[in-house]
Amino acid sequence: MSLSEAARRNREHWDTAADEYQARHGAFIGRAEPRWGVWQIPESELRILGEVAGKDVLELGCGAAQWSILLARQGARPVGLDNSERQLEHARRLLTEAGVDFPLVHASAEAVPLADESFDVVFCDHGAMSFADPQHTVPESARLLRPGGLLAFSSASPLVSLCWNDDTDDLDERLHAEYFSLFREDDSDGAVQFQLPYGGWIRLFRRNGLTLEDLVEPRPPADATTTYEWNLEWARSWPAECIWKARKP
Amino acid sequence: MGAELAGRVHLEGPEAVSLSEHAARNRSAWDRWSEEYVEPGRRNWASDEPHWGIWGIREAELQALGDVAGKDALELGCGTAYWSAWLARRGARVVGLDNSPRQLETARGFQAEFGLRFPLLLGSAEKVDLPDASFDLVLSEYGASIWADPYRWLPEAARLLRPGGELVFLVNGTILMLCVPDEDDVPAGQELLRPYFGMHRFEWPGDDSVEFHLPYGEWIRLLRAHDLEVEDLLELRVPEGTPPSRYPFVTPEWARRWPSEEIWKARKR
Repeated sequence: MSLSEAARRNREHWDTAADEYQARHGAFIGRAEPRWGVWQIPESELRILGEVAGKDVLELGCGAAQWSILLARQGARPVGLDNSERQLEHARRLLTEAGVDFPLVHASAEAVPLADESFDVVFCDHGAMSFADPQHTVPESARLLRPGGLLAFSSASPLVSLCWNDDTDDLDERLHAEYFSLFREDDSDGAVQFQLPYGGWIRLFRRNGLTLEDLVEPRPPADATTTYEWNLEWARSWPAECIWKARKP
Repeated sequence: MGAELAGRVHLEGPEAVSLSEHAARNRSAWDRWSEEYVEPGRRNWASDEPHWGIWGIREAELQALGDVAGKDALELGCGTAYWSAWLARRGARVVGLDNSPRQLETARGFQAEFGLRFPLLLGSAEKVDLPDASFDLVLSEYGASIWADPYRWLPEAARLLRPGGELVFLVNGTILMLCVPDEDDVPAGQELLRPYFGMHRFEWPGDDSVEFHLPYGEWIRLLRAHDLEVEDLLELRVPEGTPPSRYPFVTPEWARRWPSEEIWKARKR
């Protein structure tokens, strides 16, 4: 299957960045229980996915599959998909270390080589919903879900895109970017990220037959820690991350 | 339902229910401001082109509402009732509710002036004296949508809607409410002046009124908790070349770059 220009660039980016990324963040995002996002807020608090035991779960942009390994231990039947072969090499290493086994698929989430209606949960945590075109990944997710299935994903909030100061490479209390031009951001490191306005996500879910269930805007605790260079003080006042939940009726 | 209501409800009678503290404050604020809304109200009543918000963006362009002909419609916080008039002219059986006796006086004056009658009720949208499941459309444009507590008016709207009925309401842009200064007459800039987490009740120095604005996720959870499926969120952008509105809190330049107004659409299950 041929890759889109953005998928090709992000494959290149992640194949190059994977080793350093896993060295820096691998342990932080691979602790003993499932956690979300930059400040690793426990799933047991946010309750986004709910009970996963016995469910077919697809992770879109699994990286080294830290999330899927934890879900496998909870009795889920995960499949990890990633667009970077180098990330999947890290995933295979972690699967072996953890003594679990499940399929890892090398593909872009914009065109997933898996059957219609084969999953109960499609999810990612700052994964393919940020690094692939939502105009393709949302229809793909809707296709892959069984009736009653859940799409859940975290990504940076639109406010982060607006308040990121390129000069200081940090978040601040000023709107630097325009809202109405949100869609695609070409990062200086070669990656391409996608960001939709709030209403844009809602329309995209509905156009693909998904019912909006929730938008969780997690607020990190005052003593939250992270290996990512995100400004905790900012994120205590404004939402840095969005977790969307939509269901296939 | 319109004609039936007109015979049943005391349009100017005393209210059976007591007002919340903020509803009482907003009633006196709107009674005080009503004079300033007579002329704009008359212009809107005289217009045949339904439009939204402070920039007057045309419904024909936004298409936030479908066909309203034959529908039972309720406007929550109708003010001078120009939106109700537009809905009535398009064939809806409309009821206008407002919390300000003075605003309703203006509305009744326009009903006589323009020869168009429909029931007007005095009351807060936080407790509406109308039966369950009696409307196909509940609409609010800068009405109860910002001047009543969403945790009180939205359950009422859900109760009043029939299954399949639609709730459509316009509010100030969420990000705009983070950027509007406390000082009167100073337009929103690019600085975030207050936190997003915990936003709900807004009070301004030198002004006794109370406004309500919620984070995106809270609107979604509140709608769903009351069996309303979220259908759309229209984030309004002013067309290029839009002149300043009569309100100083936001400029067309700001509203060209960030959403100054948002329309939520939801449907009762």
